[in-house]
Amino acid sequence: MLFRRIYQFMIVYVIGVIFLWMIKLSLGLSDYVIPGISLLKDTAEEFGTGYFMDVVNTLSVTVLGQFLSIIMAFTVGIAGRKSSWIGSFIKVTAYNIQAYPIVALAPIIFILLGDGFLSRLLIASMICYFPLLLSVLGIMATPVTDIEHFYIVTGRMRWQLEVKIRAFENLSKLTTVIAGSATLAMAGTIVGEFISANAGIGYSIRIALYQSDMAKILIALFMIGIIISIYQGILESMGEHIKHRWSIVNKGDEL
Amino acid sequence: MKKFMGFILWVLVTLILIVPVSAQASDQVGTDLVYRLKWKFNTSVAGDIYADSNGYFKQKGLKVEVKAGGVGINAIRELELGRAQFGVASADQVIQALEKGADIIVIAQLFQANPLQWIYRSDQPRIKTLQDLKGKRIGVTFGGNDDAIMKTILAKGQLTKTDVKIISVQGNALPFFKKDADLWPVYRNSQGVSYQDKLAREGEGVRFFNPQDFGVSFVANSVITTGKLYKKQPGLVNSFLSALLRAWEDAMTPEHENAVLNAVKQLDGGINDDIRKKQLAATKTLIKPDPDIKIGQIDMGGWEMTESILIKEGLIKKPVKIADRLIQIK
Repeated sequence: MLFRRIYQFMIVYVIGVIFLWMIKLSLGLSDYVIPGISLLKDTAEEFGTGYFMDVVNTLSVTVLGQFLSIIMAFTVGIAGRKSSWIGSFIKVTAYNIQAYPIVALAPIIFILLGDGFLSRLLIASMICYFPLLLSVLGIMATPVTDIEHFYIVTGRMRWQLEVKIRAFENLSKLTTVIAGSATLAMAGTIVGEFISANAGIGYSIRIALYQSDMAKILIALFMIGIIISIYQGILESMGEHIKHRWSIVNKGDEL
Repeated sequence: MKKFMGFILWVLVTLILIVPVSAQASDQVGTDLVYRLKWKFNTSVAGDIYADSNGYFKQKGLKVEVKAGGVGINAIRELELGRAQFGVASADQVIQALEKGADIIVIAQLFQANPLQWIYRSDQPRIKTLQDLKGKRIGVTFGGNDDAIMKTILAKGQLTKTDVKIISVQGNALPFFKKDADLWPVYRNSQGVSYQDKLAREGEGVRFFNPQDFGVSFVANSVITTGKLYKKQPGLVNSFLSALLRAWEDAMTPEHENAVLNAVKQLDGGINDDIRKKQLAATKTLIKPDPDIKIGQIDMGGWEMTESILIKEGLIKKPVKIADRLIQIK
């Protein structure tokens, strides 16, 4: 799965670059607009390793940011699953915060947390958590009537049990959403670094943009793509492993 | 897999067929022109706005659409892609593009003095020599113009990075307002005026550190076009430029001040009239620092120094013979 993800990304990247080169050749554009093969090669040799380390740096924040966003999404999703006043209030608050553009919130975040690691982490989790929240809310607000009915009738239903039943019955959906949200966590971290940080690939892209250096940007995109493919591949493998384990446990229970 | 390869082939063939058509279309330049600015509409581009609003281009038989610039918008790219015929770019952009083979020429230099300066509070000792920078906390945008300029200044003053504390500039001036930074980079005629006004209301005065006063000339915004257009239609380039520079000359005179301020206000209503007036006054000193200086005059020495700074800072690898691409149209 991991290998497939990497070569699929390579195909997409190569098609994208060929597309750009065709435009370059057809319109007779200079290396300033679209870098040619030799410039791209030189830039990769000069900055490739540095950018790789930058992406690894970004990934470390991404992993933490995604973990934080999963916790946030589950907390809000579980608390807001009821159609009570509190549930509705939590949902409205979560939705409204998401509606604010992150660039407008950024100055407040930087006043509170400075321009270091914590700001990047918070912005990454804020961008990543909303799609997770929607899925969690959808799952947690939908009763699994067949199973829940028994516990309700016998008076044994507690909120923890309700959450467990709904999570277990939608495990496949949850693992897919979590694996998919890795891309958003990475994008969120890069946005955070782009707006304000002194490290990470988003910061390097910002510098490359100041210098109008498209070659650097293409190399950065390549590095981001490779690393995120690996990370998503690992998450998907983990998801498969968890599903497999749970199904074994489930079968064991049945026996 | 076969279907996938077929799709890729289809995309490539379509591109081969479509792209040259648009390339050919971009070769045809009539009197309908696009002039792409470097940044958003504000007092810094008062002359450009005035040329459009007061019919200077029309008088020359040209229909020019003046388009604002912004983050991610680059006039040089627009020119190459045929989306604009004229544009505004900073000297470093021009030189870096020339190194990468772009066919662009500079036909006028709008700013005779670079508006990029550093603001500092007047309760601090005045910076009289570069040695006075020692121990200061200085804001710099890593990778930006101010980064290259500050490195040159420090080298000129025989200072190293350990003699000062460099603070990364990231979108807002909070570190300066919180007094975490002593010097902060600003565009003298826009942010410089606003920050000065903001601090004045808090009872604080400011001064500006201008690299040019210490012999570091880094050219700012200039008017550019493609070498191809200039070669094929020099008359069109001349007409455009004479209309533009006449508008700028008029816009910098006291008689036209109210009309200019009104024209700018139509496009940039986000600030109050008093600030806008001060910004226009500051712009005048940068565009026409001396009554004898003709607007648009190209400072060859400044361009050569800019090129040498970019080489020294590793932003370009080899000289681009910049003098060959500076066309001072009479």
